[in-house]
Amino acid sequence: MKILKFILLLVALGLAAVATVIYSGIVNVAADEPHSDLVYWLLEETRETSIKKAAEDIKVPDLADPELLLSGGVDYNFMCASCHLKPGQKESDMSVGLYPAPPNLTIASDSHEGHEHGDDAQRARKNFWVIKHGIKASGMPAWGKTHDDKRIWAMVAFLQRLPELTAEQYQILTALDPNDNQEMAH
Amino acid sequence: MKTNLINTISKIALVLIPTLTLSMTASAHDPKLHAKKPEKADCSKMDHSKMDMKDPVAMAMMKKCMKQAEVSSDKIDGKMDHSKMDHSKMMDHNKIDDKDMKKEEHNNH
Repeated sequence: MKILKFILLLVALGLAAVATVIYSGIVNVAADEPHSDLVYWLLEETRETSIKKAAEDIKVPDLADPELLLSGGVDYNFMCASCHLKPGQKESDMSVGLYPAPPNLTIASDSHEGHEHGDDAQRARKNFWVIKHGIKASGMPAWGKTHDDKRIWAMVAFLQRLPELTAEQYQILTALDPNDNQEMAH
Repeated sequence: MKTNLINTISKIALVLIPTLTLSMTASAHDPKLHAKKPEKADCSKMDHSKMDMKDPVAMAMMKKCMKQAEVSSDKIDGKMDHSKMDHSKMMDHNKIDDKDMKKEEHNNH
């Protein structure tokens, strides 16, 4: 009975502590104030493990079709480039202002510091899952709500080649198809 | 009562007018970054000598540029659709004397 009372007391104290944190307003949610190293590590590890597990069974299709680069390029330019940048671009309003900062996808993932990216197939699975489902409270939208899997795989195919593209190649691949009169289609 | 109302309105106006003025003049540092006009592919910068034609990137670029060239030539052909020409009006030009014709040709080039 004493143990039960002690556990109940601990639970009540825990709830009171959580309520105090929530309602006192002491947590700074400003995006221009970074997390402490510990909180950042906790969030990043949780995110990476979650994505890896959720994406592990996704089957990667053949991404070598040039048509995928054209479709994915146009979508990337409209939907992603403002945060994840274009070849030759170092920063944008979004890449500077968002926290956590969106990764610069014009740089090969091997040269990113921090977490592991795995091989091509693992990267493709991860990219597909992230584009489709988005990431909570990070600014990354779930594009799967408005785009089918085929278009998302096309973006994944484009992302695989993006780090090697010159600004000129990027311009050609991402320019709107002359037959598509889809100005601001998104 | 009326004075109170006028005072309240004046206070609201004092806050609202500068706020609206400031928000309307506020702009991003480089408005070009926010413009999302569809651009044509700049195919003149393609360096064919450096391109591996088996590479999907090169193949995709060729495809895009060929399609764009086809559309451009279709547009030119469309503009020169002789079936839509009004030949009756063209006949009027025969009435123009040689001097005027030369003048008109000169103006049009």
